[in-house]
Amino acid sequence: MNSRRVWAILRFVLTTLFLYFVWVLFTSDLGLFSLLFGLAASLLTASLTYHIFLPEHEANLRFFIPHLWALLRFLFLMVLSLYQSSFHVVKAIITGNTNPRIVHFRTHLRSDLARTVLADAITFTPGTMTLDLNDDHLTVHWLLCTTTHTKAAGEAVKTKLEHALGRTWL
Amino acid sequence: MTDFILQAMLVMLMLFAVGTLLRLLLGPTASDRLVALNVLSAVSLALLVLWGIKVGRALYLDVALVYDIFGFLGFLAITRFLKDRKEN
Amino acid sequence: MIIREILALIAFLVGTFFGLFGMIGLFRFRDPYSRLHAGSLCGTTAVFSYLIALLLLAPSAAIGARVFIILVFFLISAPTGSSIVAKFIWESEDATTQRSSMKREDKSL
Repeated sequence: MNSRRVWAILRFVLTTLFLYFVWVLFTSDLGLFSLLFGLAASLLTASLTYHIFLPEHEANLRFFIPHLWALLRFLFLMVLSLYQSSFHVVKAIITGNTNPRIVHFRTHLRSDLARTVLADAITFTPGTMTLDLNDDHLTVHWLLCTTTHTKAAGEAVKTKLEHALGRTWL
Repeated sequence: MTDFILQAMLVMLMLFAVGTLLRLLLGPTASDRLVALNVLSAVSLALLVLWGIKVGRALYLDVALVYDIFGFLGFLAITRFLKDRKEN
Repeated sequence: MIIREILALIAFLVGTFFGLFGMIGLFRFRDPYSRLHAGSLCGTTAVFSYLIALLLLAPSAAIGARVFIILVFFLISAPTGSSIVAKFIWESEDATTQRSSMKREDKSL
């Protein structure tokens, strides 16, 4: 058995487990028929879609299996920064002095999942909104801009998030 | 006390819905209308959950869950449609 | 019981604060980007606080678990929706004057 086939089987199993977990979560029905039907349905769906759900080039388990403790810490950080950034925006609404700019920078996170979560998390940091994510290049609209220099803007917006995400995925 | 909080929440959510509907009707460009629609979808999600708690039935919460997960697909369709029409 | 209600009242008041200022921002700002910031971010915070209050007021464990799942998925779906709208504004010409000035600055980097 070569490594490509092992990797394909592993991805198939992981997709099935994820689908089955979502099935049990959403039906919240522990009867025998429901459990067996969900298993059959997730096996069928996983066999059809596992190569799309987990692409072959994501060749590391750490790319999509999170560290549970780091993930919980990251979620807590998100909720905290959601309130903090809303407070900043409320201050901007009251005083009315904003400085909107579009800034560009790159990220050094490697997996697709971590980049997507970073793009979503940037929306929760004070006065920033992700416009576009293209490979590792992010375009961000910044309401309370202090600098347009690429490196400084990247430092200000994403360093803390990237640090927390780098411990969660890769 | 619980009834009072639920009632006050209902009134506030109705107020937010009226505000976003006003922006939806006034908005000079398509972008403004989409922004208002985005806020309105979140408000209607909260209304569904609130009604489920108030009546005490889980059925509304299932509807809210599906609306939560697949709600943004509607925006994807609308933005794609408007962009295609602009290009033609 | 009474502690739960007091916590729910606090969450409700916080949500109302952010929601009202979000509505004001939706009408006070002039360009679509700033309106998106005000409406989407403050609206998300308001609805999130309301969902926390409703989670505290849930009458039974089954309903509470559903509200918790909705809460977690709302943290994923809300920024995704606003990102889609933001990308539409960027690609359309609705914020055109602001955009051209910003393009010039980008070239000077």
